[in-house]
Amino acid sequence: MPEPVITIKDLRFNYRGVKKPALDGINLDVNKGEFLVIMGPSEAGKSTLASTINSLIPNFFNGKLKGEINVMGRDTRTQSVAQMSEIVGMVFQDFEAELFSTNVELEVAFGPENFAEEWDEIKRRIDENLNYVGLDAFRRRPPSTLSGGQKQKLAIASVLALKPKILVMDEPTTDLDPISKMGVFEITHRLCKRDDLTLMIIEHETEEALFADRVAFIKEGKILKIGPTREVLTDVDTMESLGVMPLGIPKFFKRMGASELPLTPDEGVRAFQSSGWKVNPDAFEKKVAEEKAALAALSEPLIQCKNLEYSYNNTVKALNGVSMDIFKGDMVAIVGQNGSGKTTLAKHFNGLFMPKSGEVSVNGIPTKDQGVFKLGQKVGYVFQNPDHQIFSETVFEEVAFSPRLRKLSEEEVKVTVTDALKAVGLAGCEELDPFSLTKSGRQRVAVASILAAKPEILILDEPTTGLDYAEQRSMMNMVRQLNENGSTIIFITHHMWVVAEYAKRVFVMKDGQLFLQGTTREVFAHADELQTASLRPPHFVEFSNKLGNTFLYPEEMLECMEGKEN
Amino acid sequence: MDAELYLDNNSFIHRLDPRTKIIIFLLSFVAILLFQNPLWMLPVAVLIFLELYVSKAFKNIYRIRVLLIILSLFSLILWNFFARGQTHWFLFVYKESFFYAVARTLLMVLMISAGVVLISTTRNEELVLGLIKLGVPYRVGFAISTALRLVPTIASSTVTISQAQRSRGLDLDSGNLIERIRKFLPLLVPVFISTIRSTNIFAMALESKGFGAREHRTNYLRLKMQKSDYIVLGFVIAFVIASVTLSIMGYGKLTGLKNF
Repeated sequence: MPEPVITIKDLRFNYRGVKKPALDGINLDVNKGEFLVIMGPSEAGKSTLASTINSLIPNFFNGKLKGEINVMGRDTRTQSVAQMSEIVGMVFQDFEAELFSTNVELEVAFGPENFAEEWDEIKRRIDENLNYVGLDAFRRRPPSTLSGGQKQKLAIASVLALKPKILVMDEPTTDLDPISKMGVFEITHRLCKRDDLTLMIIEHETEEALFADRVAFIKEGKILKIGPTREVLTDVDTMESLGVMPLGIPKFFKRMGASELPLTPDEGVRAFQSSGWKVNPDAFEKKVAEEKAALAALSEPLIQCKNLEYSYNNTVKALNGVSMDIFKGDMVAIVGQNGSGKTTLAKHFNGLFMPKSGEVSVNGIPTKDQGVFKLGQKVGYVFQNPDHQIFSETVFEEVAFSPRLRKLSEEEVKVTVTDALKAVGLAGCEELDPFSLTKSGRQRVAVASILAAKPEILILDEPTTGLDYAEQRSMMNMVRQLNENGSTIIFITHHMWVVAEYAKRVFVMKDGQLFLQGTTREVFAHADELQTASLRPPHFVEFSNKLGNTFLYPEEMLECMEGKEN
Repeated sequence: MDAELYLDNNSFIHRLDPRTKIIIFLLSFVAILLFQNPLWMLPVAVLIFLELYVSKAFKNIYRIRVLLIILSLFSLILWNFFARGQTHWFLFVYKESFFYAVARTLLMVLMISAGVVLISTTRNEELVLGLIKLGVPYRVGFAISTALRLVPTIASSTVTISQAQRSRGLDLDSGNLIERIRKFLPLLVPVFISTIRSTNIFAMALESKGFGAREHRTNYLRLKMQKSDYIVLGFVIAFVIASVTLSIMGYGKLTGLKNF
């Protein structure tokens, strides 16, 4: 007999000063021990819904809350967040800001301390939860020295120490590399087996939703679809229309006209083998040959690294002997675990960092002889977080910052800014306040403000982090357009599907060294080596690898199927 | 980027009880303020430098070296305006006013150093707990530690933000004073906004872990005064009593100094 722990009836919420409701009539029952995943595009109301469960709404966010919400017999409106915290645990996306103690043990102790638990009980909970998330060996370490994945595990442990009955996680893995993601999800898989704990996770990445009992799609404050995981995740068309990333494997089988849609790589391989379908080897060979020829045409090196070494404090080498060439017109992805040296490497390309040993040259001239200011005109660098650079009152002013610093005349500035905004799809937004835009809008402003310096090379650090699937696609389509118009693109990312679909070549970093390099197809064919670099190709690539030919995305494989080729 | 103020060195000073360290910190202020003559401040100076040396906290002094040097230079010059003496050296500088300026500068450097010792050797939670045990309300203690916690957060976001703006062509090293000040706007706005944002999440995370759920809370950290604490405290108290006595007896004044 299902026993609801969360009952929500016709819940509506408007943030103060915003006309459009963030929640627009939500009805939802979550049962004890259930694992529910909530998906949907940005601004759909996912986080807002999560915030109502532990009464952050209405306690922290001002606005109008209507309807009924009952969590384990409590009306959240009459409760403070602190009171709710003994039944609802909350893990946030930004793990940097949610950890505040100076060592791992004390971080876990903080919750039980607030509830005046006895010392022995606190000690017991520290031991139990650190053991549970696998951080036992790190008890004395300051949280700031942990890796991203470890930090998020610690955040989970510190919340579990309160013995909550419901655990809510708001995009807990957005900023993590694929293997750290798996580490966090491995914990949630164990948690969801506990039938005294109810899990509610907001997630962007569909592959991670596979273990849920139910999945709900939210858009514009309404639940559009909710049901058992398999039923919801095989509804490829609805997902695409909602702006949620469909899984590659069911998508492929759907387009092939199958009636039963497999979800995981193993299911996919079995279904494929029993279907009698065949990949046309000639079509595949032709595809690979064309790809090789296109890359061979790129022969003018723009950035060259020779035995590059760098260290932050002379003890650990952040980069240890990296040699690489990046050619004009290329679109390159740099991937690797958190802390593998990706960003450190990229910051050498525009002169923010100078090599401690070895050499980096751009256009054949060492960066040491050029400096950041001069290099900035050739190499544009878009930082990960647009909020780390936006400061102006209007979009126009923001984008005009760079050209004005470079002493262009006002007419030239105007032309450059207009061009840059057009390139990122923000034409006509000149007079808007950049801070009023969505994350993806601000990301575009940041890209435009770099484009305005007319760089030949554009570096993007995690351009798709924090964006939803549709936004990620349109961001990357725009970047690809820039590449087709002649810019050389280098992007750093954790999103493997973005690499699979958009990169021409891939550099894999591991422990400060270049671990693998090659065309995207070559690199993704080495699934085992990728695993040792804490990376994992998307499910669809894994599936095609198992069948013998590496395909990067469903459309590509569909073109090469026997009987489908032109 | 490593911007933590606490240095995990496990030295003799680190192992002292936070209450001992807080009391030493307060008492060194008393000792520093007693004398006008910089020579009489030397014993305190030696003790504080000894603390810095033993706890290996010079690293943190080194980090703020630029600030210390600028403040010291200003102090050495400006205090001459506020004092006169009998032995005129040049312009507005007298022998007595010069020593007075040296003493004031030393006072400032020593106070900062005493603070650096406390912060570099005491974990945030220990500091809060020490303050509570000494009678400070929990919320006040927590507020102090939150302020300290913000320092590394702001420092590391400032580094990232200045890199982002330099990549866009911002050159902080050229131009006259006014131009340079204006150039800090592109740094200040994002630093301000990202700090507010992370403080907001911090507040939500705090409450989500039950901050303030009960009237009373327990503490996992346990403080225990040990033999070494009593010995150190005994020594420091004796030192301060001796200093106070000497100061009352009239030692350590700068003769002929007229300050206003």
